Amino acid sequence: MTRRSRPSRRATLRITLAVIAAALATVAATSGRPDAPADQDPGAVLRGRVLAISHGCGDCHGGIANPAAEGWLAGANPKAPPELQFFPVGPFKTRARNLTPDNETGLGRFSERQIFNALRFGLRPGETPDVEITSSTPGQGNFPMNPKYLAPPMPWPSFRHMPDQELRDIAAYLKRGVKPVRNPVPDSEGPPDFWASEYTPEKVGTWPAPAFPTARETR
Amino acid sequence: MTLTAAPAQLPLRPGSATDVFAYNGSIPGPTIEAHEGDRVIIHFRNELPEPSTIHWHGLHIPATIDGSPFHPVAPGGQFDYVFTVKPGAAGTYWYHPHPHNRSGYQIAKGLYGAFIIRADDDPLPPSIPEKLLVLSDNRFLADGSFDFPESHSLHGRIDTENGREGDVLFVNGEVEPTLAIRSGEVQRWRVINASGARVYRLALTGHSFLHIANDGGLFERPVEVSEILLANAERVELLVRGTGAPGSRATLQAQPYDRYVPQTRPADWSRTRDVLTLQYSAEAPAAPVILPEVLRPIPRLDPALATDTRLMVLTQGLINARSMDLGRVDVSAPLGATEIWQIENLVGMDHPFHLHGFQFQVLDRNGVAEPFRSWKDTVNVPRHSTVRFVVRYDDYPGKWMFHCHILDHEDMGMMGVLEIT
Repeated sequence: MTRRSRPSRRATLRITLAVIAAALATVAATSGRPDAPADQDPGAVLRGRVLAISHGCGDCHGGIANPAAEGWLAGANPKAPPELQFFPVGPFKTRARNLTPDNETGLGRFSERQIFNALRFGLRPGETPDVEITSSTPGQGNFPMNPKYLAPPMPWPSFRHMPDQELRDIAAYLKRGVKPVRNPVPDSEGPPDFWASEYTPEKVGTWPAPAFPTARETR
Repeated sequence: MTLTAAPAQLPLRPGSATDVFAYNGSIPGPTIEAHEGDRVIIHFRNELPEPSTIHWHGLHIPATIDGSPFHPVAPGGQFDYVFTVKPGAAGTYWYHPHPHNRSGYQIAKGLYGAFIIRADDDPLPPSIPEKLLVLSDNRFLADGSFDFPESHSLHGRIDTENGREGDVLFVNGEVEPTLAIRSGEVQRWRVINASGARVYRLALTGHSFLHIANDGGLFERPVEVSEILLANAERVELLVRGTGAPGSRATLQAQPYDRYVPQTRPADWSRTRDVLTLQYSAEAPAAPVILPEVLRPIPRLDPALATDTRLMVLTQGLINARSMDLGRVDVSAPLGATEIWQIENLVGMDHPFHLHGFQFQVLDRNGVAEPFRSWKDTVNVPRHSTVRFVVRYDDYPGKWMFHCHILDHEDMGMMGVLEIT
């Protein structure tokens, strides 16, 4: 029903939603605070910074590869011409959201675990509980029965294959290494199933990836 | 009185009967009226095939008779709700089921009714006619039955996202009824949004309203408004001034209101829908009515006395990124404490937020101070916005619910537990 099209002029763009790693065991269902910091490893922020720069988060979310740039990771640039403030995806508009830890307009109220779950499973932080997810099968291991996914072209199907620690580091950097910027970005559009029919294993593969070698690979 | 909830067949629309749930065989259920100070005794009989409760929405009464999911009444069971109406409580309330995970279904099936509390010293002239408007909506299949899609179907998922809306609008169980008014007359309308998800942006063609009350009763002074936004479970009282000519008519309309995320916004969301017709009689205009400029004092809850601020982050179906768990206490506070609640809606659709048991006063919306005081028990928190209110936990310890009053959201767990000790 909806075509997933990556704009060719943006073919090399990769978006990284920064993610936040939460110490899964301690973050705790008992903590009422969605922003409870769990991982205080001081190296996480610096490692996450390198990952965010090298994985092109800024290509879509602002600042390209320059953490000193105005609008670094702050989402769609409100000063840009309107036609450059979104990515057309079929009939829909996807807008790069604000990844800075601003409470109202960014990721400030989302936990590092929620950001981790966004990068690992593509699940929208605003639609998914702050829980450890142990399965990719709907209804199992805290994976939602009706998953709602981040809008294309966010390349979470690729990024999810990064090691746990790297995804947590990105989350740590976004939550703790970037200054909050107030930049309200209008909501992205999409089909009423929140892309579920586009993000099936048949179309985007599985996590973890199938054992090597598959029929198309060789030792 | 006795309220019996039971399956029934009612002709909700001309020419076809629908299998419903009804209190005492009618939709809405009987209107209950009480005075401040009255002792109210309601015998509830649950003749439904599933557990139910009666929640007295907005009433300040003990937690054990609040009709929350903590106190279900089994099929075939009975329960007596007995309470005394506090002074100052005069206002427009309503009652509805509040069982675990099934409130949306049972209310959509027809279980809701009005609860009016009157004051002996009501400041409005008793000559003003009073009209009750209980608003609801529903959706039907071709065979006349209610349309409840399977929850994991696309249609069901859209209902879960938006809340289940219907394309047939009811006022007191009737479709587009006609209300009579005489030119020059002033009417007092008590309006209740009993819809599971539809938010009403009400306007009366050719008329403005004097807005005189919110959920918990009269303001200090009337406020002139051209329209009213009534989110789920909210109530207002409006004075409608019969400025039309004898024989003319006006239409109460539900104007478009965009509360939706783009993914599931209904294609016809921008349609204006007629709710009822106001028909002027041919009589010569009635003598003018003198309306009071002052209604009643409302004591101020002082936010400077607040001993804590409760942050409630609303996302889609979640509060503070968690689903409801009846075995968990989300907020614990001492009896008598004054607290501020800061409700932040992070997502792209509105969430009407309801706190059981205690009326509160809105402080500000997105940092803009509320222009006047009123008592509220439900406040709409529009998309990507923040509302703060102040509340004092008077009189009644126990476990109280707070939740989104889009019933599908409530049922999917967008709810928490406040324990007052």
